[in-house]
Amino acid sequence: MSNRFDDRRPTVLEEQAHAEASQHFAEHLKQFPASREAVERLERNIAKSTLAANMAAAKPTPKENIIQVDDDGQWHKSVDLMDNICLCHRPITGGAEYAVVEHFPARGTNEIWNRGWNAMEVLKVFAQEQRQALQIWTEDMTAQVKEFLVEKYPGQDMSRVADAVMRRFTHSVSHEEVQKQNRGHSIRV
Amino acid sequence: MEPIPKTEEQPAVTPTERLAYSVQESADLLGVNYFSVYRLIQRGKLKVCRALRGKLLVPRAELLKLLGTQ
Repeated sequence: MSNRFDDRRPTVLEEQAHAEASQHFAEHLKQFPASREAVERLERNIAKSTLAANMAAAKPTPKENIIQVDDDGQWHKSVDLMDNICLCHRPITGGAEYAVVEHFPARGTNEIWNRGWNAMEVLKVFAQEQRQALQIWTEDMTAQVKEFLVEKYPGQDMSRVADAVMRRFTHSVSHEEVQKQNRGHSIRV
Repeated sequence: MEPIPKTEEQPAVTPTERLAYSVQESADLLGVNYFSVYRLIQRGKLKVCRALRGKLLVPRAELLKLLGTQ
């Protein structure tokens, strides 16, 4: 990360292009690490969330945890997974059924993402799909950065700048993570 | 002197509506974060097309459909 342009020092124009692209895509650079960390947290907690869901399914659900899903009746909220997304369960003959349910604030609706009889499998499929969404984001970002540089600097080879911006994008750490690391390194008196 | 004939009132000029938006524009219009839009794309809830160099574009009609207004 420290050596942004690897093989040789960036030219003045490359430095300028890098600064402009970083500023233009600042919101992407801020939001991507936070989303990636949310997915990593989800993956890390699959076993814990499965256990919590199984335990929740084994006991009566408080009324406030009941969720009405569009065209699919009532579900019981087990565990929060991400913003507006939770793992739910409902009793079926001989056990429980699990589903990842997403709330769409824009429409005020709840929709099932995926479902199954095994909470862990349901969570694994969901986590995999979140990874795919991050991949789509990375590909789109690559295309956007290239387009931005071609439009701003027509006829110039800005491939090293594009690579540097993308490296920063994929390797960046969220503000939350930086704070956590700083707390870990603080001197205790 | 003859009165100057009134010119017909011109209809208010409406800016041409965009046909498609980038992901960040879509996120702003929907009031969600960028990841939510990419997740909607991954899930097939928002059908997108690709511009030159592969940049994703969300058709306006898809956004309206998602909001249930079309």
